[in-house]
Amino acid sequence: MQHGVKRISLSEQARKEKIQRDKLKIANYRALCKDLLDKKDKDVRDIATLQATTDLLLKNPEFYTIWNYRRDIIVALVDAEKIKKKDTLEDDLKLIVALLKRYPKCYWIWNHRIWCLDQLQQTREANWNVELAIVSKFLDLDSRNYHCWQYRRFVINNMEEDTLLESSESSNLGQKEARALLRINIEEYKFTTSKINKNISNFSAWHNRTKLIPKIYDLFGELDTTNDHADVRHVFARPQTILQHELELVKTGMFMDSDDTSIWLYLQWLLTNPFFVDDLRKVSPTCYLDVLNAQLAIVEELNELEREDHPKGWDHRWCLRCILLIKSLIREETSEIGALDDMSRKMLQSLTEIDPLRKCRYLDQLEGTGTLSSLAF
Amino acid sequence: MTQLFKQKHVEYVQNLNSQISQDSYEYWLLEHLRLNGIYWGVVALATMDNLKALPENEVFDFVLSCWDSRSGGFGAFPRHDGHILSTLSAIQVLLIYNRLDDPKVVDKKPAIVKFIKELQLENGSFQGDRFGEVDTRFIYTAISALSILGELTEEMSRPAVDFILLCQNFDGGFGMVPGAESHAAQVFTCLATLAITGQLDRIKPEKTAAWLSDRQVEGGGLNGRPEKLPDLCYSWWVMSSLSILGKAHWVDFTGLISFILKCQDPNGGISDRADNETDVYHTCFALAGLSLIEMSQKLKEFGLVPIDPVYCMPTSVTRKFTNYTQQ
Repeated sequence: MQHGVKRISLSEQARKEKIQRDKLKIANYRALCKDLLDKKDKDVRDIATLQATTDLLLKNPEFYTIWNYRRDIIVALVDAEKIKKKDTLEDDLKLIVALLKRYPKCYWIWNHRIWCLDQLQQTREANWNVELAIVSKFLDLDSRNYHCWQYRRFVINNMEEDTLLESSESSNLGQKEARALLRINIEEYKFTTSKINKNISNFSAWHNRTKLIPKIYDLFGELDTTNDHADVRHVFARPQTILQHELELVKTGMFMDSDDTSIWLYLQWLLTNPFFVDDLRKVSPTCYLDVLNAQLAIVEELNELEREDHPKGWDHRWCLRCILLIKSLIREETSEIGALDDMSRKMLQSLTEIDPLRKCRYLDQLEGTGTLSSLAF
Repeated sequence: MTQLFKQKHVEYVQNLNSQISQDSYEYWLLEHLRLNGIYWGVVALATMDNLKALPENEVFDFVLSCWDSRSGGFGAFPRHDGHILSTLSAIQVLLIYNRLDDPKVVDKKPAIVKFIKELQLENGSFQGDRFGEVDTRFIYTAISALSILGELTEEMSRPAVDFILLCQNFDGGFGMVPGAESHAAQVFTCLATLAITGQLDRIKPEKTAAWLSDRQVEGGGLNGRPEKLPDLCYSWWVMSSLSILGKAHWVDFTGLISFILKCQDPNGGISDRADNETDVYHTCFALAGLSLIEMSQKLKEFGLVPIDPVYCMPTSVTRKFTNYTQQ
């Protein structure tokens, strides 16, 4: 699979030169492969072979069979007490960092890192703080790397598990535990904020927020006293206060770059998720409606600005979609469920023109029942 | 470019194993994907109705030479370890050539089935091999393989589907594990699993379809996640997902076709984006994606063979074993 590699066409001369250069490389590589696969067939598990797997993996880190063989060798040598488990695995972690710098999207490398950490964790020797620092560094290099974000959640899960293990050994169960978990998750929440501040389009960060927020709220709820985390405690007082805080952030984002998909998706989460909506309904009978109307006014204001900027005075695609969403939420909230009103029909009509890539979707929606699900929110 | 260079793409697939290819160091570095590559090449040819362009018996022998007797699964190359990904590729290629009933395959079938079944974990997910990597890709791969072999049971599919549903996010998409960000290729694996197991009614199709249609960006190409660059392989992952939901028309075909055709190398092969290096993976998914577009439009602009969006094989092949009804 080639991704993002420019197509080049070599001259006849250059092609011949490459064939010459490659001849020796191919011969060396194939000899190394054959040697290792022969040893693997014979179940050879010694230090020299372990070293040979390093040589081959440096040439080709995608060679999953060799990673497998390497793991089998490590386990066998550790069992036979020929190598020290912790030292060997920590050396592997260093090797992996070097490889990841060159191949940050290679599944097999990340997979081996996770295996190493799982092994270390069995004896509680994994250093998750180091792992968190490393993955932060990789996210500095590519803030959307799917593997990195997944690995980060893996690290956080393990930190949480460590915390639970530690507190189950102490007498003060519950409070201490919740406090430690809270600290980890608030740090993560702040990490997503820093990523978003650097680049508002980082949906990976917004996504993580949708997972972290309800969790942090629940953890605050488990504490008897809440003197910790004074900087964010007021935000997490209840879903309503979180919502207000996040809506401010989204507002800044949408006025900064109205074409960004991330903020509109996140706004959809804020306005429709039961975590928030249920709480707003508890605050007062009209609280949810008030929030919806306030957001409607903001998005309509932004849409006006966009229309002024547009050469043909067109509505803004995302604003219009958001207005449509909020209006249908208001409709459902005020129990006027039923067919689309004329205004919504008009909006869907104009979406077929201003967002022609999704024309047929809007046409289907015009044909639909006008409920939220038929509007695909 | 407004034309599909079919003959050139056929030759491209035929030449993947040529001496010229083998003279290049990179060819040897890709052994770990060889069987997957055969599957992509075979599907590309089948989509162009030109399966005969490869020597069937050689392909058959090669596939069987990749079988790993220790694990019971297929590796990607002779002597490589069995893995769920290459195992599905092997089964698919054998099925396309109608060779699953060959005695040499029938011999191995119990071991293959055992290999796949033992990869299922307690939480319903599947690991890719004995080393524990979990990903919704592997769930699809296992469920798809078992269903082709007629070995899928309710007992296996129920927990697998429960796990898949945990991977769905608020945006309607699915990630690789619970908690992970939505990603169009993972959406395909999850929807196709739900389709095979007859559980599509457990999600709201409009929401997922809306997220999928939002993957189309200016220029007509599709991306895999919000605010990412378009990449041709999503012409398959997104289009197959939308087709499974009966909403293929929720993207603009004219723009997408134009994006795909621009990714062609006039000398054969198709790349992730215009003017990039070609490979068989993108060649396969470009053609399969175009076929889905043709099916949805009920047109025959490119004369491609209809492809099953769930199994990524010709419908003439999947019809033999599946009762999955086409939308």
